[in-house]
Amino acid sequence: MESALKLLSFLLIACSVCAATVHAQGNYEIQVYGADTVAPRSTMVELHSNFTAEGHPALDGVAATNHAEHETVEITQGINDWSEVGFYIFTSEQSGLGVQWVGDHIRPRVRVPEKWRWPVGVSLSTEVGYQRALFSPDTWTWEIRPIIDKSTGRWYFAVNPALERTWHGPDVNLGIEFSPAVKISYDFTRQISGGLEYYADYGSITNIASLRSQQQQFFPAIDLNVSPKWEINFGVGVGPTSATDHWIVKGIVGRRFDWRKQK
Amino acid sequence: MKPTIQMRPEGGVRDRTTSRRAFLRGGAFAAGALTLGRSSAWAQVAGGSYPGSAPDVKPDYRLEISEIEWELAPKKKIRTAAYNGQIPGPLVRVTEGKTVNIDIVNRSDREEIVHWHGQWIPVDVDGAMEEGSPMIAAGSSRWIQFSPRPAGLHWYHTHAMAHHDLKRGLYSGQLGVLHVDPASGDPGQFDQEQFIVLHDWEPYYAASDDGSMMVSYACSSVNGRMVGHGEPIRVREGERVLFQILNASATEVHWMALPGHKFQVLAMDGAPVATQATVETLRLGPAERITARVTMDAPGVWVLGEAQKAFRDTGMGVVIEYAGRSGKPQEPGAEKLAWDYRVFGDAMPLVPKPDLTIPLVFTSRFKGHGALDEWMINGKSWPHTDPIVLHEGLRHRLVFDNRSVDDHPVHLHRHNFELVSIRGAATSGVQKDVVIVEAGTKVEADLVASNPGNTLFHCHQQDHMDMGFMALFRYA
Repeated sequence: MESALKLLSFLLIACSVCAATVHAQGNYEIQVYGADTVAPRSTMVELHSNFTAEGHPALDGVAATNHAEHETVEITQGINDWSEVGFYIFTSEQSGLGVQWVGDHIRPRVRVPEKWRWPVGVSLSTEVGYQRALFSPDTWTWEIRPIIDKSTGRWYFAVNPALERTWHGPDVNLGIEFSPAVKISYDFTRQISGGLEYYADYGSITNIASLRSQQQQFFPAIDLNVSPKWEINFGVGVGPTSATDHWIVKGIVGRRFDWRKQK
Repeated sequence: MKPTIQMRPEGGVRDRTTSRRAFLRGGAFAAGALTLGRSSAWAQVAGGSYPGSAPDVKPDYRLEISEIEWELAPKKKIRTAAYNGQIPGPLVRVTEGKTVNIDIVNRSDREEIVHWHGQWIPVDVDGAMEEGSPMIAAGSSRWIQFSPRPAGLHWYHTHAMAHHDLKRGLYSGQLGVLHVDPASGDPGQFDQEQFIVLHDWEPYYAASDDGSMMVSYACSSVNGRMVGHGEPIRVREGERVLFQILNASATEVHWMALPGHKFQVLAMDGAPVATQATVETLRLGPAERITARVTMDAPGVWVLGEAQKAFRDTGMGVVIEYAGRSGKPQEPGAEKLAWDYRVFGDAMPLVPKPDLTIPLVFTSRFKGHGALDEWMINGKSWPHTDPIVLHEGLRHRLVFDNRSVDDHPVHLHRHNFELVSIRGAATSGVQKDVVIVEAGTKVEADLVASNPGNTLFHCHQQDHMDMGFMALFRYA
């Protein structure tokens, strides 16, 4: 009986860490994507700052998320009025490890042009990249993310039913995993919008994980629309399942650079 | 079917079929006996064809509103409402002071109205229901008569509200040129005259920089064709071509350029300018008109088109082809987009003291990132805007104070105004009926009240007008 309990405990922790590793990737860039792409001849530079106030300890050679500060630089270049390419530099800072480079991703994205006059915004991104095994045992991963959004009056809705695939690491055998994200927000003023963001990882699409092992995160968040050149988002997330980091504070500051000739 | 209702010039309605006929038979129309600015209009209620009901006189023009399929380019067809099955509608060319009879037949499935933009004509024929002009019901017709004034380049277009229907109002093809030749008969000095009508098509809502929705377009045209798909304008070296340019876009400001050539601006909104300055690029807000002469002294094949590539790429341009020249047309390059109305004003501005000053403050109310802003004049949106009182014969200084982050091409019906200051700098000698008031700036214009009756004032951006940017001026 005791050995059975130990085995169960081990499996639960292993599941948590396994999920956390996938999630750790998400903890570097916590954002529900809108369908818009960056305008051609424009560049968006964003800094994602995420602090895990209550996370997971180090385990089996994978760094802890608890009290880790993740800084991610995202640079997105607009190609034309329906495509862009994003590039990520992930870093982590935490006690005992100092500042560490975690990995890089590249993310091309295409969208349905606005002039097609669809009733909702639709785009599709795919992200591929590497992260060091110290931070994620799955070192090579791929994601495809459909993005659907809609602004109507003061309300904004976005859903990202993302699918993920590990190319190298222990989760290879899981196949394709389902990681949806949803956002709903309300415009209180022209400058201030507030709402709820939801992030999840349900595990393999052929073998949905138990609720306990799923990642579920809820972020009450605000967006500040102070200027067309700036993007500011701030939120505090709570993860109610054991597989999820329990408290995360996130912030995004973005600056748009327009290289087009000024009129 | 006989006409059953007569609209009197003052806007009243009465059964007067016989007196109308008597009036016509009496030759008042033919003799031009109507006094300047007087008008008559007859509306026919639903059903029937109009010609049978007007046996005594033929209209000078007949405008038939109907839904059509229009080919902007061989692989680009649109469905829209238009006049007489064409875009732009037929050129209405009349003579200043000589009464014109126009029969308007509405074969669309919605009530419509035709506004005679830039004309100093009575309320009942001006074509704005807010002033008191009647709408023309679906399947009905209306006969109007007015004495055109002032001379110059004007236009006619639907004045129906679109609200959120991007197929209605000026998003449609209901637009055409009205040219009023001067009573003096002097056409000016040129060898060739070309009418250029700009329009944007397939509108859709898009996010704007100011955080609200705006209207964008999938394609654009000059004279109803996308660049390269209409007949080129053929010129000869040394010719002086008079370009009569109208921006009939529902919402877009356009910058026009002809590489290798310059425009000598002779008139704006039909009114001669004090200084015929020469410029490389023309800026036209929605509803603005510019009459400009170009000396064709750079043989080749060119595109007279939008200076902004994004609009040119969607079709806004027309090929200018010199005799004996061929090849790929050269498009406008990176022209500097700068415009100052004062360049066309008096060198030494002379600004009389006004009798009255009327402040008009433009602001917006945020309705959400997924909505159009609501627009206000002096803190109120149409139809709740306070009427503005004019006194006949007095000089009123209109102070357009744009406290919003959008530019506004504001238009006053049935009158002209003279620009007297822009961003605080004095000017005179530029008469307009539409002026762009740039975001965060003030423009002052003097209006001498000389055409009694309700007079609509509004932003000529269809989406702004639809969202409350209107007020009514009335005479004391």
